[in-house]
Amino acid sequence: MKRIRFHGRGGQGMKTASRIVGTASFLEGYIAQDCPVYGAERRGAPIQAYTRVSKNPILERGVIVHPDITIIADETLLDDRTANVFQGVYGGTITMINTHYSSAHVRERFGISGKIVTLDMTDIVLTQIGKPVLSSVAAASASKLTGMVTRQSLKEAIVRELFSVDIPKEVVKKNVEAALICFDRTPDIHIDHSEPMKEDNTFVKLEYSGPYLGTPSTYARGNTVLKKTGNWRLFKPVIDHERCSRCRACFVHCPHSCISLDTAGYPRIDYENCKGCLICLEECPKKVILKKREVREW
Amino acid sequence: MNVNMEKSAYENFKDISQDEHIAPGTALCSGCGGLLALRLALKVLGENVVIVNAAGCFTLLSVYPFNPFRSSWMYTAMACAPAGAQGIRDALDILIKKGKVKKEDDLKVVVLTGDGTANDIGLQATSAVLQRNLDFYYLCYDNEAYSNTGFQMSSATPFGSKTNTSVPGGVNPGGTAQKKKDLFEIWRAHKPPYMATIAPSHPVDLSNKFKKAAQFKGPKLFITFAPCPSGWSFDDSKSVEISKLAVQTGIWPLKEAICGELSHTVIPKFKPVETYLVAQERYDHLFHPVKQVDVIRVIKEDIDHYWQPYLGVEPLQDQS
Ligand SMILES: Cc1ncc(C[n+]2csc(CCOP(=O)(O)OP(=O)(O)O)c2C)c(N)n1
Ligand code: SF4
Ligand code: SF4
Ligand code: SF4
Repeated sequence: MKRIRFHGRGGQGMKTASRIVGTASFLEGYIAQDCPVYGAERRGAPIQAYTRVSKNPILERGVIVHPDITIIADETLLDDRTANVFQGVYGGTITMINTHYSSAHVRERFGISGKIVTLDMTDIVLTQIGKPVLSSVAAASASKLTGMVTRQSLKEAIVRELFSVDIPKEVVKKNVEAALICFDRTPDIHIDHSEPMKEDNTFVKLEYSGPYLGTPSTYARGNTVLKKTGNWRLFKPVIDHERCSRCRACFVHCPHSCISLDTAGYPRIDYENCKGCLICLEECPKKVILKKREVREW
Repeated sequence: MNVNMEKSAYENFKDISQDEHIAPGTALCSGCGGLLALRLALKVLGENVVIVNAAGCFTLLSVYPFNPFRSSWMYTAMACAPAGAQGIRDALDILIKKGKVKKEDDLKVVVLTGDGTANDIGLQATSAVLQRNLDFYYLCYDNEAYSNTGFQMSSATPFGSKTNTSVPGGVNPGGTAQKKKDLFEIWRAHKPPYMATIAPSHPVDLSNKFKKAAQFKGPKLFITFAPCPSGWSFDDSKSVEISKLAVQTGIWPLKEAICGELSHTVIPKFKPVETYLVAQERYDHLFHPVKQVDVIRVIKEDIDHYWQPYLGVEPLQDQS
């Protein structure tokens, strides 16, 4: 059995990616199982999805703790403790990261075991599809790394899955093109473990505690700033203060309270938390806010 | 028609407070229109507030151990936020009477819910507190579906739109077959002292309404238009633009009612409603692969039926 774990942010398409790999493997004659897991959070929050592929019936369920393949579709998750992207990575894992960095850089920075592959998937989808949706490309790379899925089944699975969620024909076509590029650029490496990791099945037993203990209370004021949602951003809004008329339209319309006014009345953006929605850019009557693709250093 | 022309407390963006009452870094979607409305509303309501929030997207504002508010906040089940508000109001009144809370430390009680809660499961609890004339605010962010659980249809979902439980196709090529419930009129039938609709694209109008509401004791009710980039499928940057279009096409009337007496605060330009519909993928099926003229005509007729009693008899939307 191969266990594939996808990491991404809500809205990037990891649930669909896990389904595409499942369907593609099914078309190849394997038994497949896929499921997403997300907490009670919205678009932009870390999510995981799992696919299991096997020749024999799959009796295992739930979370994949020791993945054979991990796809990390969002590099800003690498340092996010809550996302825990390297959990259970072992000598037999292939870790694939969507980044412009090399695998040597990843190894040096995180020292994880197993093989590491990198590919700038975001660049491919922005050019081919024009939108940062990574479902098809992440599925393509995962499929290639399993060594069990052909180009043809991948293509068919993408068409099936995207049609089933009402994606228009033209967009499906672009997805297929982007996916095949990713499939071809993903190296043909596999790890065939004679002894795959066994998932442990220990249960955590939670004792009942009364409402005074069991109901969480937060006394801190406004401590969500610590969450630093600036890493959700794909594009960064940049204000040209020379040409700004101080009209305040950007300040008034930022939903995330990320624009304040300095003493001279010029808007200042809190990049630590700005989610990059770009409403400020849309609403600036002078059109003096520009967008820049985020290229992060880590 | 009765248009409100008195001089307003807020005239432009310069009048909008620079104090922030919701910190950045919440778990809500990038570009959430409802969050913008809440942020603007709290700028007027100030810091002495306790929010009673029924389950929905906005309960994710505060996820242990994080809290974006400077004020207090309590989570309730979907059906009973107004009942929670009643309890808090009563408790505050008693504590003030007993001298255990100073009068100047009193809090405004604000119920915050989605449209699913407001129109469906929480409606009877609301009706009950309106009848009891509870002194509180209610802010419903109307994203026109049960968004938090994956965008299922609510009774506020508009006719002809797509949700995950009213997917166009087969017997229902037009998507949602039911008409949006008129929550404003249901609430208005209770004749509360103040109620209004607002939109995040109209911050000055919004601020004036909250300011005005403050002078009334009893229920003060607000429904905000809440463009939802994830559920309605449009780019995060377009929330304010879509809100403007909703007002300008006449599909989201901006109005208020004082003790049941209705007036509009913005007269729309009656832009063709198509400009609003095509901007969101939840209406894509009305234009592709073939234009569903009948469905679009019903949407236009409904806008006309709404406005004609106030504005005259000529069709306002081009019916072609
Ligand atoms: C009685 C009850 N039923 C179902 C749920 C599950 N639930 C949590 S949030 C939610 C959706 C609420 O929809 P809405 O009020 O429109 O708010 P939104 O999600 O759009 O913010 C549901 C159904 C619940 N919490 N309580
Ligand atoms: S991009 Fe969005 S979150 Fe960032 S400053 Fe502009 S409006 Fe605020
Ligand atoms: S909207 Fe544009 S012109 Fe107005 S304050 Fe912001 S950056 Fe300056
Ligand atoms: S799903 Fe919609 S309403 Fe809910 S947080 Fe996201 S944008 Fe806001």
